[in-house]
Amino acid sequence: MFEEASEVFDNMFKSSFPLTFIVFIPAVLILVSPLPAEAAHEFTVYRMQQYDLQGQAYGTRNSILNTEARTVEAEVLSRRCVIMRLADFSYDKYQKALRQSAGAVVIILPKNMSAMPQDIVQQFMELEPEMLATETIVPVYFAEEDNELLSIYTQTLTSSSSQGSLSAAEVLLHTATANGFQMVTSGAQSKAISDWAITSLEGRLTGVGGEDLPTIVVVAHYDTFGVAPWLSYGADSNGSGVSMLLELARLFSKLYTYKRTHAAYNLLFFVSGGGKFNYQGTKRWLEDNLDHTDSSLLQDNVAFVLCLDTLGNGDSLYLHVSKPPKEGTPQYSLLKELETVVSSQYPEVKFSMVHKKINLAEDMLAWEHERFGIRRLPAFTLSHLPSHRSAQRSSIMDVRPHVDVSKLSRNTKVVAEALARVIYNLTEKLLQSVFGLPHQQVQEEHLSAVVDWLTAQPRAAQLVDKDSNVVSTLEYHLSHYLKDVKRHYVKADKRDPEFVFYDQLKQTMNAYRVKPAIFDLLLALCIAAYLGMMYLAIQNFGLLYSFVRRITLPKAKVH
Amino acid sequence: MTLFHFGNCFALAYFPYFITYKCSGLSEYNAFWRCVQAGATYLFVQLCKMLFLATFFPTWEGGAGVYDFVGEFMKSTVDLADLLGLHLVMSRNAGKGEYKIMVAAMGWATAELVMSRFLPLWVGARGIEFDWKYIQMSFDSNISLVHYIAMAAVVWMFTRYDLPKSFRLPVTVLLALCVYKAFLIELFVHVFVLGSWTVLLVKAVLTGAISLCSLFLFVTLVHSN
Repeated sequence: MFEEASEVFDNMFKSSFPLTFIVFIPAVLILVSPLPAEAAHEFTVYRMQQYDLQGQAYGTRNSILNTEARTVEAEVLSRRCVIMRLADFSYDKYQKALRQSAGAVVIILPKNMSAMPQDIVQQFMELEPEMLATETIVPVYFAEEDNELLSIYTQTLTSSSSQGSLSAAEVLLHTATANGFQMVTSGAQSKAISDWAITSLEGRLTGVGGEDLPTIVVVAHYDTFGVAPWLSYGADSNGSGVSMLLELARLFSKLYTYKRTHAAYNLLFFVSGGGKFNYQGTKRWLEDNLDHTDSSLLQDNVAFVLCLDTLGNGDSLYLHVSKPPKEGTPQYSLLKELETVVSSQYPEVKFSMVHKKINLAEDMLAWEHERFGIRRLPAFTLSHLPSHRSAQRSSIMDVRPHVDVSKLSRNTKVVAEALARVIYNLTEKLLQSVFGLPHQQVQEEHLSAVVDWLTAQPRAAQLVDKDSNVVSTLEYHLSHYLKDVKRHYVKADKRDPEFVFYDQLKQTMNAYRVKPAIFDLLLALCIAAYLGMMYLAIQNFGLLYSFVRRITLPKAKVH
Repeated sequence: MTLFHFGNCFALAYFPYFITYKCSGLSEYNAFWRCVQAGATYLFVQLCKMLFLATFFPTWEGGAGVYDFVGEFMKSTVDLADLLGLHLVMSRNAGKGEYKIMVAAMGWATAELVMSRFLPLWVGARGIEFDWKYIQMSFDSNISLVHYIAMAAVVWMFTRYDLPKSFRLPVTVLLALCVYKAFLIELFVHVFVLGSWTVLLVKAVLTGAISLCSLFLFVTLVHSN
């Protein structure tokens, strides 16, 4: 057959050149064609944080993944992709996977995070900072659970846990029936994003009467933080602070439009970016205002700086200070007013002052007011959290249900009330609310709409660039109420960057169904046996033929 | 999955053709070139069928999951052209009946194998993803070899002038079965919601039955005179 074939081909090529072309070009094209990406399941994965802060590397350093899936129960984990569900996740298992040099870790999060039992949520929240504390070589991904992914997990679990205790025959049978999964990410290796600008926004309400009016600064950072940037919705920290700031801006802009209620205080509002990265936005803003310009509201006569951080839940309020205010200063009067308002109007709220000195030896500043404290501006942070170490401030579990709008609105009322009493100097004069008219009251729907909008998208500092919808909408809102709304950008220094962000934080992962190599061998044996049988059958076709003939012969005679 | 898997599928799909070619004695008749001609006729007939289908059968626009009964039936009726094509091939070859049948069937089936199975195998079986469907496809190609041999035999019998009257009906029934086999199987799948392995089994059984019947008829016809 082959001789004939080669003869035919020879003739073909000699006779006509175009024919060669027609035969060979497709053949070459077929041979070099890339493999198709037709996967059993395709899903979106979110990579763990990767950033450098002050020269120190944090999070996972890798993003490429192409290994077979296992669960932690398997005996050998090296160079495998370990998949875990959040319900079974523990730090021990995570460490075990990393110690055995797993190729990657994929953590499956439930679709509805708020339906998880509280203890698991709490436990995971506490693990998040630990996972990020050191750098991890292998990629760590988070995926949202769906039925396909769950079935992949279950199949991997059965095949992982049944290894080792089976006979050879069972293993062979197992390879033929069970599926392995090859996890492959489509993206490239993660690399540092150059020239990333963190945006902050500033706006003001100018007071009347006199030249050198005191200034009150209200600050809240809008960015969020969690173990994976794309999953950081940051409802309580710090969506609640930003929404409170917007509401305060609205209330005081109303008051400042009337001559009778136009006070002799400048109000400066600052929505800062990069708050979770050591308050980079605030730091640059202070440098710009104090060192690089001649006239700025921050340079002279700042009454106090009030930072709002995590205020959307709980029945307690803490005023965090780095230096207890002295009597007679505006800060002291705000403290007193807060106490008065809380004790007279909201007795269910526990209010207290927490004193913590600035520790310059630590890498990270505790609260935003410490940035101001370092520059000798009187500042404090208001929060419902007793300590800056609370895991709620940097968790992907901090989603919309974590904010109780009624409590947020109550806290907003407290702050608005106390600020108004300081501004209008109403100390001890009247105990009922300053905000009498309906449009001058704190509007719960307004707060809840802002929180809803803020938590509709992840706002991690790596994701909010200067053209982002978050920044432009915030700017629009602020310019609606305030004057001189300005943007401030922070870019890390090129040679000695204070912060470096990395890309490839959201990727598509494919799970391909695969079989082990031994399965191919087994299949080859089976096919060889089958072909042998075919050969025998065709060789002995004559037997069947004569058999049929013998049966039909008598019939033929009858005809 | 791997190149090895592709090799497996390839061997499973192609070796039966090779064995048949070798063992049926076609190689001794120097029939390779004739088989290639039969394959070329296959290509021509398929082209005509495609043009015809594209011209006269607009795309079925019913809802998903609804089986277009009449449309599918009409489409398989176009497969009658295959019978004409096989007849054309056989009428152009001189020789004994078995020889004509084998040349036509081998050329036809091999052309189909190369045209409709090689590319999916190359692209699919070599990918990372494992799927049983490539093994099934290879089995299916074995079945279609048997199918075309039976079909060619039936066509040969049908076109003989000395076909006894009593043979006319069974041969016609077999012809119809050959043409509408794909349609019948599809109908089966649709009515009974069969798995892919069961479909393969049904196909094998049906093809086996058809080819046994045609073998009976063929043997009777050849040895009756």
